[in-house]
Amino acid sequence: MGRIEFRDIYKSFGANTVLRGVDLQVDAGSVHYIIGQSGAGKSVLVKHLIGLERPDQGRVFVDGEDVTRLSERELYPLRKRCAMVFQHATLFDSMSLLDNVALPIRKHQKVDEERARELAARELERVDMEEYADRYPADFGDGMRKKVAIARALTLDPEFVIFDEPTTGLDPPSADMVDELIRDLSDDLGVTSIVISHDLRSTFRVADRIAMLYKGELRLKGTPETFRQTDDPVVRQFIEGSPDGPMEEPDG
Amino acid sequence: MMEWLKVVGQKSLAAIREVGRLAELLWRILLNLAPWRFDGPETWRALYRVGVQSVGIVVITAVLTGAIMVIQSGMYIQQYGAYGLLGWGAGYSVLREVGPIMIGLMFSGRVGANNAAELGTMKVTEQIDGLRALAIDPVAYLVVPRVVAMLVMMFLLVIIGNFTALVGGAITSQLILGVDIEVFFWSLRTYLEMADFWHGVGKSVGFGFAIAVISCHFGLNVRGGAVGVGRAVNASVVGSAIAIFMLDYLVSFVTI
Repeated sequence: MGRIEFRDIYKSFGANTVLRGVDLQVDAGSVHYIIGQSGAGKSVLVKHLIGLERPDQGRVFVDGEDVTRLSERELYPLRKRCAMVFQHATLFDSMSLLDNVALPIRKHQKVDEERARELAARELERVDMEEYADRYPADFGDGMRKKVAIARALTLDPEFVIFDEPTTGLDPPSADMVDELIRDLSDDLGVTSIVISHDLRSTFRVADRIAMLYKGELRLKGTPETFRQTDDPVVRQFIEGSPDGPMEEPDG
Repeated sequence: MMEWLKVVGQKSLAAIREVGRLAELLWRILLNLAPWRFDGPETWRALYRVGVQSVGIVVITAVLTGAIMVIQSGMYIQQYGAYGLLGWGAGYSVLREVGPIMIGLMFSGRVGANNAAELGTMKVTEQIDGLRALAIDPVAYLVVPRVVAMLVMMFLLVIIGNFTALVGGAITSQLILGVDIEVFFWSLRTYLEMADFWHGVGKSVGFGFAIAVISCHFGLNVRGGAVGVGRAVNASVVGSAIAIFMLDYLVSFVTI
């Protein structure tokens, strides 16, 4: 349980082809990082997993089930099992932080209002945000909003979690806390995580496997060791953060 | 020639797609209209925001509309000395036509525009996708409560608006034309029927539904950031106004 497979995924938006035949397997219970330039198609790829994007060609399998042909309503059971933390947090502006976290509990768990708030408060505590429970998202910067988004994503005890740049905008101690949380979810609860990140320190510390997307194609996949030892000049330029090298800007 | 045909074809396809998306939204709204399917707290919040906060602007619009009707007809009333028809004239036009249309247009400008902007902003900031990712249907959670709130509140606001418009008309007739308020209301009671009142109120429910569906449609289909939100608000207000007049024409044509 918990295996994900992207098979030969193609996706275009108008004339801009974002993904060109991506094949990727994510083992159950592992932490799989996806790295690559901004605009390389990382977020688009992972959105296919829960049907927020539909491929032009190719299939996505979750535990052997093809999820690309499911209708919006048929995707709901999968979305309850697979949480997503978006790049820009996507908290609901009109609700307090506590209400944001309590929303999926209210909608999907048969608990009374008091119990929903209690469970939500516990999730906020997990990311050190419990003291701000009654404040609104607009009061906070990206980093703190992202911590609340992580708390909200974990409320339904998902089997899979997609983290889209979870540590971007966080201070180093908070980033470490999120890294630990992602690792613990995998080690203690067997949660399968896909993490999109530009934070290479986190990537090499936490990842079981890494895949690099470049110009819509999978450039390299393997363990952190594979990436440390590769001679591929594009991958080397990316992980060394060098402005000089063969790497080109993404299309579109 | 080919270029011209291509442009016409593209515009036609875009228009068909727009109508298709609107029809799909309408269908999904109808599927989710069962009371146990839409969100209670969100519906109460929408009722408050749509209704309570619109009362002020509706009352002001209605009082002025009633007064304008009396002033406009005053010249002929004085010319023919037909003071006993003043209440009927003002009441007939306010209850059947001007009240629902004016309040509908105000409602579209205030509530519909606000709705399109809010949903549009939620779309461009990925909050709508955030809901979908939480296995929450945005139509059931966001759209249906707004549709219910706009239906209910247009119904109530037009009743409040009709009443205040008639009061505004009566006061104006006393102050400007010297027609006693009692004569004004006697004329109303004598010549108007409840059917005139229900004709306007019934239409207003249709206007409320049209404004709700159109503003939600443009809000949910925003593309292109802040500029797209601006375009959606504009399209919502224009689309709602057109829908109000088309509905009004149809109802007038059918019920004449």
